[in-house]
Amino acid sequence: MGTEQRIEHLRKMRSQAGALDRRAVDRQHERGKLTARERIAHLLDQDTFCEVDSFVRHSARGFGVENRRPLGDAVVTGWGKIDGRTVFVFAEDFTTFGGSLGRAVADKICKIMDMAMRAGAPLIGLKDSGGARIQEGVGSLDGYGRIFERNVRASGVIPQISVIMGPCAGGAVYSPALTDFVIQVTETSHLFITGPDVIKAVTGEEVTFEELGGAMVHASTSGVVHFVFSEDVAALDGVRYLLSFLPQNNLELPTYFTPTDSPTRTDDLLDQIIPDSSNQPYDMIALIETVLDDRDFFQVHEHWAQNILVGLGRLDGHTVGVVANQPSVLAGTLDIDAAEKGARFVRFCDAFNIPLVTFVDVPGFLPGVDQEHGGIIRHGAKLLYAYCEATVPRVSVITRKAYGGAYLVMNARGIRADTVFAWPSAEIAVMGASGAVNVIFRREIAAAEDPEQRRLELVREYEEEFNNPYKAAELGLVDAVIEPRETRAHLIAALEMLRTKRESLPSKKHGNIPL
Amino acid sequence: MKSVLVANRGEIAVRIIRTAREAGLRTIAVYSEPDRDAYHAQLADQAWNIGPAPAGESYLNMKRILGVAAETGAEGIHPGYGFLSENAAFAQAVTDAGLIWVGPPPAAIAAMGDKVASRRIATEAGVPVVPGTGSPLEDPTEIRAVADRLGYPVLIKASRAGGGRGMRTVNHSSEIEESLASAQREADAFFGSPEVYVEKMLTNVHHIEAQILVDNHHNFVYLGERDCSVQRRHQKLVEEAPSAILNLSQSTELGEAALRIARACEYRSAGTVEFLVDSEGSFYFLEMNTRLQVEHTVTEMVTGVDLVREQLRIAAGSPTSAIGLRADGHAIEMRINAEDPYRDYLPTPGRIVSYREPAGPGVRVDGWVRAGVTVPRYYDNLLAKLVVWAPTRTQAISRAKRALDEYEITGVPTTIPVHRAVLDHPDFISARHHTDWLETEIDLSPTAPEVAESLPEEEGVVRQDMTVEISGRRFVVSYWEPDIGQEDRAAKVRRRPPKPAKGPAVASDGAVTAPMQGTIVKVNVKVGDRVDADDTICVLEAMKMENAVAAGKNGNVVELRIEAGDSVATGAVVAVIR
Repeated sequence: MGTEQRIEHLRKMRSQAGALDRRAVDRQHERGKLTARERIAHLLDQDTFCEVDSFVRHSARGFGVENRRPLGDAVVTGWGKIDGRTVFVFAEDFTTFGGSLGRAVADKICKIMDMAMRAGAPLIGLKDSGGARIQEGVGSLDGYGRIFERNVRASGVIPQISVIMGPCAGGAVYSPALTDFVIQVTETSHLFITGPDVIKAVTGEEVTFEELGGAMVHASTSGVVHFVFSEDVAALDGVRYLLSFLPQNNLELPTYFTPTDSPTRTDDLLDQIIPDSSNQPYDMIALIETVLDDRDFFQVHEHWAQNILVGLGRLDGHTVGVVANQPSVLAGTLDIDAAEKGARFVRFCDAFNIPLVTFVDVPGFLPGVDQEHGGIIRHGAKLLYAYCEATVPRVSVITRKAYGGAYLVMNARGIRADTVFAWPSAEIAVMGASGAVNVIFRREIAAAEDPEQRRLELVREYEEEFNNPYKAAELGLVDAVIEPRETRAHLIAALEMLRTKRESLPSKKHGNIPL
Repeated sequence: MKSVLVANRGEIAVRIIRTAREAGLRTIAVYSEPDRDAYHAQLADQAWNIGPAPAGESYLNMKRILGVAAETGAEGIHPGYGFLSENAAFAQAVTDAGLIWVGPPPAAIAAMGDKVASRRIATEAGVPVVPGTGSPLEDPTEIRAVADRLGYPVLIKASRAGGGRGMRTVNHSSEIEESLASAQREADAFFGSPEVYVEKMLTNVHHIEAQILVDNHHNFVYLGERDCSVQRRHQKLVEEAPSAILNLSQSTELGEAALRIARACEYRSAGTVEFLVDSEGSFYFLEMNTRLQVEHTVTEMVTGVDLVREQLRIAAGSPTSAIGLRADGHAIEMRINAEDPYRDYLPTPGRIVSYREPAGPGVRVDGWVRAGVTVPRYYDNLLAKLVVWAPTRTQAISRAKRALDEYEITGVPTTIPVHRAVLDHPDFISARHHTDWLETEIDLSPTAPEVAESLPEEEGVVRQDMTVEISGRRFVVSYWEPDIGQEDRAAKVRRRPPKPAKGPAVASDGAVTAPMQGTIVKVNVKVGDRVDADDTICVLEAMKMENAVAAGKNGNVVELRIEAGDSVATGAVVAVIR
């Protein structure tokens, strides 16, 4: 064969590698799903995809699989650009062997993960797979193990994003679970360890696929999923948008875009948002949006544990991670789910050099037997631990309540917050007035002619004395009491001041977060 | 007169102080707290703080301003435009204090400030007015009768309207009641009187106004017209002199009509009579502005007159010097406002980051800002007026475009892109524009700022410009380099992907439960009520906070298990919706 014929042969091979089974593609489209290659094309900047391993074939034998050895097997892998920045991607191909994972597929995925690690660029996994390739037996299962280990190795080094765009069941779920963000598409995808059939056989419970492992269940009840989208293209746009905030790896700073919003913009809304009566809720989302650039707040875990808000935004063009109590849900208390949600987000931001802005309005931990027995001590400690170990710039704004242990957990000065602002409406105290009075003046109340009357008087006095930010400011626990309308300018100035912050923890193998 | 107090701020205060200094007068500026470092305050010989930011407590505070005048020994007060300039009571108070009021007599201000009265004066002077009512109306049925007779669309206008406020367009009789109510509300809020009247809304017309000067020596001078047809929401944006649609005899006719009105109201000082002019050249009296106009500059450019100087002369009792002048060439003024034309002209107060004014032949900039200045949100957002002069209108348009290209303002969005679009538009070039034209014909979307400056077909490279000198000659060289640096990345199109509808896929089974342990303080529904998912069933107080408990699904309340005062446990069913 001459050189020319060899080149011709390569062209032929390449066209076979990209070839798809028309009927399988149609079935994919009928289900409302795109194919693996269509998804990659939508995800990446135009014509930037460089495929890897398109000639890989499995070498399994038995059950007739040796007669079917398509080029590239059931996954498409490679790299390309998003917004001009390199990313690595693998997309499971449901139209080939149902996207099942055999050794060759696992090899391809592991290789692209290794490449992403070496290049220091984000990894995106588009999941649409029937599961392990049973014909290949335990060899297939081992493939999952190798992927999990790489997910963990890459954790905190490069951003990892999983998009669930079809079935993802059994052992396969743990790869997404180990990544930084899980995005799921409604209706066309499911995520569970054991399916409805097994559950029915074992426990007798009847449940549909969507009820068991649909996107909204995981987004609102289990907290497994961070973002929900109604179709493939929206989810892929979501990945692009999410990456616009993030650095390429843990050694880079997050992105900066020339701001279009004035750094000194003030807003009357902030002066008016806190109700006069402290038992009235308000919407923390509106407050956050008012402060951020272009009023743009990209919530993470929007539907789960809504008593705490976490998400990404910008201040003067720089990415920030926002954590805030939401007084209009469960009074803004911290409970088990909220602590977990906050902790995971704080650790993500810390790993990728994203400064943390915390808005505090927390009356305390949620009381209740189920909370105590559910381990609120253990779970609340996660959020506390996450904040304490975070070395990124940490700025707090206490808008209203900051009571007791919950005050400390929410990035207080005592746990090494860099800058703490308080609004004049702040109430920073060890406990509520009523409880405090009962303890401090127990004898005096008991001795009074009208104990209840005396108690109310003392509560009122205590509130006047302590329900304000000035006691804390006296002790230097609050750096400045600011006018709410000027919050944006103060935050931008503080973060600018902290841009050169360099802090490291004592050398250790790793800490022991209370998991 | 040896000294003058300027009771204004911004570019007009600067403008007046400049002329006053040329005339050898001692100048006294007043400023509100946020204007402490404003240019007008720096430029005057003396500057006095007259109160906090809100205009009502500072620039409209008559007592304080008169107090400053007394304390500084100011002999005259120039009110500029806006604020107290058309306030007859203030003019009277100034005169009563023995000071010189640089403006028309209070009686003329009062007569012309009342739109209904001014229309009567014009009619009596034989000047055609825009068809409408001769008296104020408040009954919708009366208004409907008038509107039906005039033909739609009509305008409901506040008797004391100005600056586009207190005006409502009515396209159909069904809109009358609502428009009337809102015009009255706005009129009451802005002008302190809910009185309104009705005018036919003339469409496809030019807004042309006559500049006049009257002194106490029987000189009635017409200084030519200005065409102010480029407007948005009745606010002028571009003005020019002379008008491109009037010939000399039409212009003269317009000026004579204006002077008849000035005679009828015993006018003195500089004033402006506004007309609407249709395509046949017929004109209708609109209103008279008894003060210096923002756009007086274009008249100055074509006549060579300093209108502020003339106002000061007339106020001091001298005859005007602006007699026997001929207009020469063409002038265009562009208002540079801190507004975002891509967001419906949203005012955008904020800090100016960088600022460089254009200059060169035939260019005049009347402004007050520079880099580092914060434009307060309390006042008008006019940053500067860019005025150009050239021998012909075509040359003036070219010069205006050149000057806009030199203008550099960053930090706040401005109206500069609108001016570019206007000057490039064939309708403006051929003077086929009219008062509604800007809002209907100018499409700014092609110039929307999200468009990256880099070559779109080459993703990942950014354009860089560098100035080099080769053999004594200066070149600007462009080159394209790979887009790698994070800090240098040009702002690219970033669009938030659409979010799917909210709400859990697991439909509520209709049982409304208490989110936490607490006390029911209020129940908002009764059994049998129809509710939406977002409606509040009851208010639960827990952790000293009132929590609204929502229905969760649309339906009827079939069961209500709580009443106010009940204590409930976490997860307790409070109501059932079917």
